[in-house]
Amino acid sequence: MSEFEPKIIAFCCQYCAYNAADTAGSMRLQYTPNVEIVLIPCSGRFDVILALKAFQSGADGVYVAGCLEGGCHFLDGNIRAKKRVVYLQNELKKIGLEPERLAMVNVSASQGPQFAAYIDEFAGVVKGLGPSPIKKQLAA
Amino acid sequence: MANTTTKSGAVMVIGGGIAGIQSALDLAEMGFYVYMVEKGPAIGGRMAQLDKTFPTNDCSICMISPKLNDVGGHINIEILTLTDVLSVKGSEGDFTVKLRKNPRYIDMSKCIACGECATKCPKKVSNYFNEGVDTRKAIYVEYAQAVPLKFSINAEECIYLTKGKCGNCKKVCPADAVNYEDKAEELSLKVGSVVVASGFDVFDPTVAETYRYSQWPNVITSMEYERILSASGPFQGHLVRPSDHKEPKKIAWLQCVGSRDVNRCDKRYCSAVCCMYAIKEAVISKEHASDLEASIFYMDIRTYGKDFEKYYNRAQDAGVRFVRSRVHTLTPTTDGNVILEYLDDLGERHSETFDLIVLSVGLTPRVNLPTLADSLGIDLNEEGFIQTQPLTPINSTRAGVFACGAVNEPKDIPTTVMEASAAAEAAGRVIAEAKGTMTKTRTYPPERDIKDEVPRIGVFICHCGINIASVINVEEVVNYCKDLPFVELCTNTLFACSADSLGKIKEAIIEHKLNRLVVASCTPRTHEPMFREALAQAGLNKYLFEMANIRDQDSWVHQKEPVKATQKAKDLVRGAVAKAALLEQMYQTKMGLTKEALVVGAGAAGLNSALSIAQLGYPVHLLERSDTLGGNGLKIFSREKDVRGYVANLVKEVESHPLIKIYKNSVPKTSHGFVGNFETKCQGPDGEFSISHGVTVLCPGGHAHTPKSYLYGENPKVLLSLDLDELLASNSPEIKKPGQTFAFIQCVESREPERPYCSKICCTHSIESALTILDRNPEATIYILARDVRSYGFREKLYQEARSRGVRFIKYCVDHKPEVVAGPNGRLQIKINDHILNRPLLIEADYLTLATGIDPTPMREEIVEVFKGQLSAEGFLFEAHMKLRPVDLATDGQYLAGLAHYPKPLEETIVQAKASAARVATILSKDHIMVGGVIAVVDPDKCAVCCTCVRACPVQVPKIVRNEKDPALRGHAFMEPAMCHGCGVCVSECPGKAIKFQFFTDEQLLAKVEALIVEKKAKPA
Amino acid sequence: MIICERKPIDELKSFIAGKKKVLLVGCRGCVTVCNAGGTKEVEILAALLRLDAQKDGNELTIDEFTLERQCDPEYVDELADLVAKQYDAILSMACSVGPQFLSRRYPKEKVYPSLNTCFIGGALAHGVWAEHCQACGNCIIHNFGGMCPVSRCSKSIMNGPCGGSSNGVCEISKEVECIWHLIASKYMDEGRLAEFAPLQPIKDWSKSRDGGPRKIVREELVK
Repeated sequence: MSEFEPKIIAFCCQYCAYNAADTAGSMRLQYTPNVEIVLIPCSGRFDVILALKAFQSGADGVYVAGCLEGGCHFLDGNIRAKKRVVYLQNELKKIGLEPERLAMVNVSASQGPQFAAYIDEFAGVVKGLGPSPIKKQLAA
Repeated sequence: MANTTTKSGAVMVIGGGIAGIQSALDLAEMGFYVYMVEKGPAIGGRMAQLDKTFPTNDCSICMISPKLNDVGGHINIEILTLTDVLSVKGSEGDFTVKLRKNPRYIDMSKCIACGECATKCPKKVSNYFNEGVDTRKAIYVEYAQAVPLKFSINAEECIYLTKGKCGNCKKVCPADAVNYEDKAEELSLKVGSVVVASGFDVFDPTVAETYRYSQWPNVITSMEYERILSASGPFQGHLVRPSDHKEPKKIAWLQCVGSRDVNRCDKRYCSAVCCMYAIKEAVISKEHASDLEASIFYMDIRTYGKDFEKYYNRAQDAGVRFVRSRVHTLTPTTDGNVILEYLDDLGERHSETFDLIVLSVGLTPRVNLPTLADSLGIDLNEEGFIQTQPLTPINSTRAGVFACGAVNEPKDIPTTVMEASAAAEAAGRVIAEAKGTMTKTRTYPPERDIKDEVPRIGVFICHCGINIASVINVEEVVNYCKDLPFVELCTNTLFACSADSLGKIKEAIIEHKLNRLVVASCTPRTHEPMFREALAQAGLNKYLFEMANIRDQDSWVHQKEPVKATQKAKDLVRGAVAKAALLEQMYQTKMGLTKEALVVGAGAAGLNSALSIAQLGYPVHLLERSDTLGGNGLKIFSREKDVRGYVANLVKEVESHPLIKIYKNSVPKTSHGFVGNFETKCQGPDGEFSISHGVTVLCPGGHAHTPKSYLYGENPKVLLSLDLDELLASNSPEIKKPGQTFAFIQCVESREPERPYCSKICCTHSIESALTILDRNPEATIYILARDVRSYGFREKLYQEARSRGVRFIKYCVDHKPEVVAGPNGRLQIKINDHILNRPLLIEADYLTLATGIDPTPMREEIVEVFKGQLSAEGFLFEAHMKLRPVDLATDGQYLAGLAHYPKPLEETIVQAKASAARVATILSKDHIMVGGVIAVVDPDKCAVCCTCVRACPVQVPKIVRNEKDPALRGHAFMEPAMCHGCGVCVSECPGKAIKFQFFTDEQLLAKVEALIVEKKAKPA
Repeated sequence: MIICERKPIDELKSFIAGKKKVLLVGCRGCVTVCNAGGTKEVEILAALLRLDAQKDGNELTIDEFTLERQCDPEYVDELADLVAKQYDAILSMACSVGPQFLSRRYPKEKVYPSLNTCFIGGALAHGVWAEHCQACGNCIIHNFGGMCPVSRCSKSIMNGPCGGSSNGVCEISKEVECIWHLIASKYMDEGRLAEFAPLQPIKDWSKSRDGGPRKIVREELVK
């Protein structure tokens, strides 16, 4: 059996996180291809329904990446996103889906190395959890 | 009007750092064409090199990067990189500039910044962007976010250009962009005015031998340290020292290296920023490693700016150690550490070992500034910076040539940004009648309405030379994507961004009747505007475009996994196509505006702001709550400048200007509207009146604090600074009496928990007053009792003069304040502990002057209430961004200047006021404002009027409004398109799902997410 | 408005255990405004339940619909066509009036409440709601500086504060402000404490729950 390749959706804010992902690219930092990045204007645009839909479609992990705390270009979008992530983690736990499959991180535009490391770290966590039970059912 | 002037409507801005960037953006938005001349291969300047910035710890590159792109993409800014100024002939309004454009050896129109050349270049050279801490190649880009993002060859280092061998870069360049035959060329331009913003060099500590900078690897400059801290720096943000890459446990910062030091460095001035950046570096270092010991060795801590003092206090709380001492000896140990020897306040000798020494190096004039000044025909001052005058702080000695930022005097970023806007005001004002004569506008064919069409998506997949294609199997991706839903055309292209490809894209849109476009290539951050432009030129709404980032976020980061990278590219394109199918036409609408300004407050700030706005050609309503114009300036006496005369003259100019309408004894009561269209109701002596205006400048001022301590108000010999000013201005005989003793106490009720900020001006003002007394009464005895003497920048020279002329400075700390009692002979007795002798002193003084600092205006609550602003904890107006928007308020179209922002000397108030005029002109120069686009829009029918958006919005934009059709009907939430910042917070919380975020709708994002995960190939029937 | 809170997901799961077809009905009234049962919450709950079912491989279809209000029969009627599709369960995301109206109108359906109806109150801030009324049927807040001791005093006492008030908070929790402290402070600040000194007469509770379920009939409106 081939090794489990998780599918991760990462919602990245345009000013910092998406920029950090590009910085990682221009520095040619290699990280896992298991992640697909979705650009959103601000992490405050992250909506719990986006994560739920991703899981429903078979995502093994969902990641939200915003600006450093205090550094949000829209003041507090990243703080609001974080609260929604915590809320949804609790709900996921209650329906028996590992809350670790959802996480949020803060990076600045120059933190390409950190971005790459965070993605690998999160992918490692998700890999450790194995395929999402939804995905297993979808495949069955 | 345009063709009656002989003046040019273009401006040359020299320097592409934050000062040049701000000036250029303001000028371009004010209606002038800008040539930005940059000596290096990219703009960005020092800010691009910094890690974080004080006092907010914001990431520096994050802040400046959007500005770089604004400049790079501005139709009315032309960036000339690698360019030197040779001469400037002619006069104000009509200059002829000769420039030399040095060879880049890279064809900018072909380079795709893939970096293949640098990978294969065999020549390593010292990386000056990283301050020489590491190396780069002879062919290079300075940094990842550089604008323009094009490589260049360092000719002195290149093996081919020096020896005629190698040629690797030319061989591997997939775009055939390398051109070894490139030659320097001379250009000639016509401009009406010039802004010099060429910045500063950092002091090279090699000459100060004490520090052994060139000998020991673990003695580094603060700029090198900045790069070490940076995530994109030589150690990728790991805090390690250069010698052995070990994490330092104990770091010392040595202040005033190359500043305030005539003996070793020949630098008399204070560099104004080093205290703050050292504190910042210490704080950030402790964030990297909490057990790290950080010590700062200083002479005076000069944390004089907005929120600086609190930052200093927080650093102390966080465990940063501050030692008042000038270190005299450094000795290395065998393991790379350094022993510092120093004397403490009491003269006791200490010896302490550190892992790493950071020299807080000062700011010096650019090495090439004398040459540049020669070419420009302007004078430098005795310190080697550009000569300006206190009351005209951005005017050089040549009419029509203005200077801003650290090229005039060392200064921090916010002050630089203010000066940059002020320079834009000055450079624009002298050619005001030529506004709009040189600017370009874009014209497009009429847009095809695709509302009722079934999606027909065109997909272009870019090879980016081999950048994408060497990892991703582009043909395979093309074949796969052909069958995705709604895809009408799918093809590959060698370089999607080449002029040739853009032409093909436009043709394809027309030929295949495409109504959506997807480009899979690099990042939308840099390339989306270009492709959107192509859509517009092909008659398609520019928002019908989506990008898939298969380079920066795929081929570049999965170089060793081509199969997976190819699979991911398919996923990314599938996601982009799914979103594209749901994209809708979006329109920005034109909204008219009132081309008039309201200025509130007629002190030095308000007067300058009003006058500058009027001189730029826009009517001004100037509101003053008292019956006198002039404010605090009428009470100030200065040895260096005739403040009262200046203000009186300013009042005269304002009163006689035909475009300024003055309303005395008038205050604003309510204000409504948004940028371009405000309506303010005011209360005047003859009742209420209303003013329509497009922009607002708030200059409500501040005033000297009235203290309760030190017998003020009880003893007539205890004065405030302004009382002494009155004695000096009236040439009082009291000053000249033989044997008189004058004492000053600084920081009275300042920098204490109740008023935890430094008022910035008091140290210098007391020193000036002391010198005036000595001018008139050379035998007078003068004491200045201070905590830290904060004569920042060139003001340090006054401090030196005062010391050399016998003014006695005694330092006290806040826990041991002086005590003042009335003496038996009518004199005052001041008890203080002398910090050097460590024993109590008794000073008998004839006059005691209390430097009490500045309080914000008592009107502040009303002002923020009326104009919906915010106050800082200390009661000063809260600007939109402390670093890069120091003149803007959070509400678009509102600006601020003067003491209401923060205490500042007159010259800085003048600068900020003039800057506000430039910011005002960026709005009023237009015939309409464009609103809409990527913003939140409410569907009134779905709105439950629940107020969730009203409460959730970070900038208080949503309001519940009445139903337009019938006020009796239920209202709904409404976001004024001109005000929405476009974050989407409200959309994600609206319980009725009544808010749509255009271009990032739920449907679009959900479709994208699903498509990214689920392989779906079937085309709809 | 009526303030509700969504039931814990476990309880909701137990309602639909073994069921294959579920209708989730939201309400655009109070519960939208208090972020408990509007379109958005319906969407989120539906997604969570689907995810839960998917995870375990259970077959589950959830349809979503949000009514203008669930406390008026005319709106409840609008569901008729949907209900005809034969759901195994209908989950109402309104206050408890909603599921009762749904049950009455569609007697054959299994209707479940998805929200707990908590109290009558208002929003103090974004995401914070507090009780302000217990529907006692005889409002007397004008006697208490505009504050309601019935709903906002833990003991509903009429002549307070009691001995459990200290430093402005109630003895049951530091999170609960003592309304009597606020009432007294207000009168004191206004210098009207003397006015407030007389004992409050015994409250007429006849219009409260003591008379059993209540009903209001406006004869002039009745057809």
